[in-house]
Amino acid sequence: MIRSLSEKRADVWRLIDAARAVAKDRAAIAADLAGSTGLSREGIELAFERHLELDPSEQEVDQLIASAGDAPHVTVILSANVFVAGLRAIAIAQAASRRVVVRPSRREPHFARALVAKVQASTRAIGLTLAADLDLASGGGVPGNEIHIYGRDATIAAIRARVGDRARVRGHGAGMGLAFVGIGAAIEAAADALASDVIAFDQRGCLSPRVVLVEGEERAARFADALHQSLARAGERVPRGAFHPEERADASRYLATMMFAGQVLAGASHAVGIGPIGAPLAIPPAGRHIHVAPLRSIDDAPGLIATLAPFIIAVGATDLGEGVRLAPAHARVSLLGEMQRPRLDGPVDRR
Amino acid sequence: MSDMAGTFPESDALHERARAFVRAFETDAAYPEPFDQLACDLARFQGSHVEGYARLCRARGVELASITRAADAPAVPTDAFKLARVATFPEADAKEIFRTSGTTIGARGTHAMRDVATYDAAALAFGRAALAHGLPARVPVLVLGLSPADAPDSSLGHMTALFARELGAPATPAETYFIDRDGVIDLGALDDRVARAVVEAEPVLLLGTSFAFVHFLEALGEDTFRLPPGSRVMQTGGYKGKSREVPAPVLRRDLARAFHLPEASLVAEYGMTELSSQFYEWTLRDPSAKHGVFVEPPWARVVPVDPETLAPVAAGEIGIARIEDLMNVDSAFAVLAADRVRRVDGGFELLGRAEGAPPRGCSIAIDEMLDRSGR
Repeated sequence: MIRSLSEKRADVWRLIDAARAVAKDRAAIAADLAGSTGLSREGIELAFERHLELDPSEQEVDQLIASAGDAPHVTVILSANVFVAGLRAIAIAQAASRRVVVRPSRREPHFARALVAKVQASTRAIGLTLAADLDLASGGGVPGNEIHIYGRDATIAAIRARVGDRARVRGHGAGMGLAFVGIGAAIEAAADALASDVIAFDQRGCLSPRVVLVEGEERAARFADALHQSLARAGERVPRGAFHPEERADASRYLATMMFAGQVLAGASHAVGIGPIGAPLAIPPAGRHIHVAPLRSIDDAPGLIATLAPFIIAVGATDLGEGVRLAPAHARVSLLGEMQRPRLDGPVDRR
Repeated sequence: MSDMAGTFPESDALHERARAFVRAFETDAAYPEPFDQLACDLARFQGSHVEGYARLCRARGVELASITRAADAPAVPTDAFKLARVATFPEADAKEIFRTSGTTIGARGTHAMRDVATYDAAALAFGRAALAHGLPARVPVLVLGLSPADAPDSSLGHMTALFARELGAPATPAETYFIDRDGVIDLGALDDRVARAVVEAEPVLLLGTSFAFVHFLEALGEDTFRLPPGSRVMQTGGYKGKSREVPAPVLRRDLARAFHLPEASLVAEYGMTELSSQFYEWTLRDPSAKHGVFVEPPWARVVPVDPETLAPVAAGEIGIARIEDLMNVDSAFAVLAADRVRRVDGGFELLGRAEGAPPRGCSIAIDEMLDRSGR
């Protein structure tokens, strides 16, 4: 059944209303979310307060609808941790079809369950259901059906292989964010803004900045120091959540590498590595680790990030023009401090 | 932080001490000094000539002047070779520069050598012991890999060329290297060369990478490729996405069948660009030795360490490989690899790369970006 634009709008707005209700009642699932995501209670609260996109404009919702196309049936397979991303994923599916089945992440099912439950409890329920398991081999059995999958590239590839041509698979893989601090930026403010991007979801989101390019070697050192302090302050407000042994091992290796190759400013629950000017980029592990790469000039940036471009899905900068200049064509561009607040206008990952 | 321009007396003396270990091994003589003594002197030398290593030691709170055990010297992660120069001498004095095979994000690890003689002496001595023991002094050495001309910065290419030169019967490059720069195996030329060896009843030493052998077997199909009796095969390296991955026992079984050789004649080697020493399975030397267990030369140690604390793990536990290599005179005597290892009777097991933390969100895992770096 092809819906009109106004019907699609209504369906998406009903979903947003449901998300608002989930946020309002978040106390009911906060403990479960903390357990399943590993985020601290403060991290969960931050996600609801600042990173769940509850106030899109009508234009943004229309853009989201336009990005979704039409499908008779959509299956959504969600990944874990950045739990608020479930809203966008289901909204896109809902925009594409009135018949949507959501399979929540096994590790983090609570937000999606709560969201779907709120929708189903609304007076005019829309065709949105949950499924613990899916029969992907059939692809839904109807030509044109879609499977929207969020997860690792390998998982997406495996599902594509299983589904074959029985359904259209729209994969949304992993990625990372890149930040840029230009020569004109105010160091302290930029550091505070970037710290807020880093602490969200403990840097486990695909928009999370892992590397920041800073113009000027001396400024990079000052920025790193400011960022170190900003992250320490942010860590007091929003403590890092669980930090697993494998993550600690990755962090240990990154720190040892940067102790040799550059400099490390390590806090209780974060670290800032500073590379040599012009050196290849080191990608630190998630969990509030960020690599500062000094640049002589923004002109040096494209060469440095060229091989990373396929993985960069968000660029944050103190100057939007500079961000646009650096960003791969598919990447979202925002001001620092807004990298983890993408507008609800379509998939986060535009690759 | 360097010696007088053009001369390196301190380094030269350390190289000489390192090579004394190799000579003692070759002549079955007593080792000239304790491992730890040379190791600590190397660490001190590197700490005073490599800024990064001095920084690492300071950050770890290690006073190199006072250490007495190799284990006290911090190890340099292999990733550091991608980001910074790990060398005690000026760039202009490098005689060889080996580079890792590269990664998705572009950085290649670099290992520069000022005095390649130490690398060559060690590689040849231990390679001969592991692979050529009992063979005639010179046998045809055939390489399923690139020639040094096609891969001038490959440490593996350097090593196989060394073996071809020092262990091999006189041969042209066309009679030695059977893969072109496009990765195509010249099966016809290899067949011709092996046929001559069969006629002359000469065993051959066949050296190749795992992925080359997989391609070779795929090209062979159900056929076999009989090597002369007594031949040996050295297989090394991971796959790096260059072929389908085949479990080591399966590859060994299939190669043994294809070559009509006992499995004991197939020896795996473990090495990396960042090192100057190599490790081998010891099946040609000891009938009780097991495949999958690698043996160190007396000038190198592989110590499994906890990936977080970097302290040695308990006996029999799995850790990541801290490799102490006395032949790494001018770079990093202790290297922290990304491979998981476990000490067992007779050596260590290689258990694959530490995969890193599983992703707990859509933030990309480093492993998703990085191809395995290698030689």
